[in-house]
Amino acid sequence: MKELVAILRAFHQTMRCGVSVWTEPAGGGALRVVAAAPALDGLPPRQSLPDGEGEQLRVRCGDSEMLVARVPGPWHNWVGLGPMAACAADDPERLLAFMVPVVAQQLQAAMEVEAAANELAERYEEINLLYTTSEILGRTVSLGEAARTILKEISETVGARRGAILVHDRVTDTLQAVAALGAASEEIPPIATDDPHSVSARVFRTQQLVQLEADEPTYAPESDYRDGAMLSVPILWTAPDIGLPLGVVNLSGRRSTQSFTAGDHKLVAAIATQIGTAIQNARLVRESLSQQRLLQEMQLAHDLQMRLLPRVTVVAPDAVVAARVVPAESVGGDFYHLFPLAAGRTGVMIGDVSGHGYRAALIMALAMSAAAIHAQATDDPGQMLRAMLASLREELELTEMYISGFYAVLDCNSRVLQYANTGHPHAFVVSVDGAVDRLHALDPPLGMVEDPPSAASREWNSGGDLLVLFTDGISDARDRRGRRLGEKAVLDTIIENRAATPAEIVERVFDMLSLHTGDTPRRDDLTLVITRS
Amino acid sequence: MSFAIDKQGDIVVVDVEGQLIVGNRQELKQKVLDELEKGGRKFLVDFTQTGYIDSSGLGVLVSLSKKIREQGGELRLANLNDDLKTLFELTKLDTLFQIADTRERALESF
Repeated sequence: MKELVAILRAFHQTMRCGVSVWTEPAGGGALRVVAAAPALDGLPPRQSLPDGEGEQLRVRCGDSEMLVARVPGPWHNWVGLGPMAACAADDPERLLAFMVPVVAQQLQAAMEVEAAANELAERYEEINLLYTTSEILGRTVSLGEAARTILKEISETVGARRGAILVHDRVTDTLQAVAALGAASEEIPPIATDDPHSVSARVFRTQQLVQLEADEPTYAPESDYRDGAMLSVPILWTAPDIGLPLGVVNLSGRRSTQSFTAGDHKLVAAIATQIGTAIQNARLVRESLSQQRLLQEMQLAHDLQMRLLPRVTVVAPDAVVAARVVPAESVGGDFYHLFPLAAGRTGVMIGDVSGHGYRAALIMALAMSAAAIHAQATDDPGQMLRAMLASLREELELTEMYISGFYAVLDCNSRVLQYANTGHPHAFVVSVDGAVDRLHALDPPLGMVEDPPSAASREWNSGGDLLVLFTDGISDARDRRGRRLGEKAVLDTIIENRAATPAEIVERVFDMLSLHTGDTPRRDDLTLVITRS
Repeated sequence: MSFAIDKQGDIVVVDVEGQLIVGNRQELKQKVLDELEKGGRKFLVDFTQTGYIDSSGLGVLVSLSKKIREQGGELRLANLNDDLKTLFELTKLDTLFQIADTRERALESF
């Protein structure tokens, strides 16, 4: 206003007539002096001032009389010449008409500077809020704590006394308050996302901002944070292809009587996006942690499962056994079992529980316990599997699982191999001369039929014959192009190495298997057991 | 991989395209059980376009066979390729199912 003051002073000195400029603040308020030369003691009554453009009135100002005209424009400003008693000008009306546009121009410039300064201050506040928000989100782990602080900051910036941040609960499909201003968040009732009356639910569904005016009705579950006009903005997480709604920010109880501005909308939307990213990040961190925990638990389960499998030395010296189990997942359904029996006999078992994962692992553990009990009670492999089925039947029916199993009792004194085979496809005797005899399945897998398993026997050349048992994970192992390894390739390797120790043969088979599969992911458990007795 | 359901008179024919494995067995099970619920009693699963069945897939066939029999119905299989035929023979599952070489023979056999 320095320029205006200088102009008024120059006018006063040159024309020897005082001049004053008054203003009435926007939105009402008392008249005040903007600039005057010389300074006057009083102010004219507001109602005496002219309202029409170009109109000039003589009005009382304290003890003096002034000639006053309104400055054109959106603001309420007036120029007054006088006191008239001390004015030396011959034609004050003409002088006033000259002064009005001069003052108007000066005021216009001054007002623009002030508006720019206000705008700058407002932008500064907004930038400061965005900065504060990202700082809060960056250093806070708890979403609730961050939400409360952000709600407080944003409310202060847009001049809201009430508000709430609602976050979508994916289990209950409701919007739940994690922070509230003017109410306790835990007392705010959750809102179903399909609630047709709730503004928050509508904003969440449509992902579009809504502004409710003061005279629009309040929905009861939203009354805790509604007071007059309400701004409801969706919290979105935006990925390249999708905008995922995560919640809603509601602001209300604005300090001034004015509604929320377009600037407020933009600011709150920007903050909501930041909150959205924070929510999504928190969720991803949580999921990653739980995934990590799950992996650790699976590893633990795998270790426990591997410990259930017997050491191959338990049947020494009557039998020399090599065995390897590689589960497709951390836990699988393949297993083998070995039993030193009376009078130089050895029990050898292989099993494959249909399916993988925890349920298969549980059945596998039960099967191994049952086998350990029943193997000592009978020498007949058919009876052993029958007793095992009796122990597991209920569990197998309940889980709709079954076990393809093979159990042999090798007697190196009587040189007889007795066996029962319930749906196990890969059981063989490989002789010293390289001949292969398949020990066919005598019954379907355990759990598929009610009939008890039967048994068969054949000659066993002690010290020469190899009992070869493997699961279909080995013969069905795929290479990169999806081709199966095949049973023949496995048997050929074994025949070729039949003079070696069981441990060496197992090693060769797995070497050959690795060459075939490369780094192709395994689809099934791999189990191989080779016995010489 | 999908399961196409077709009706040939009162026989529900299911075509298994691709594989029947742990990942899709529940889908087959649900489709067949839905038809059983709707009153279907004669079922034929055609494996013309099936390359592989894993142990879970075999399990679901046995489970379906049991459920259909409990309702007085029957499940038959057709067009197993050589590998699958061997698999059924080696696991003795061929004793649990009526298996036909062609779809026509299977349909006639009901």
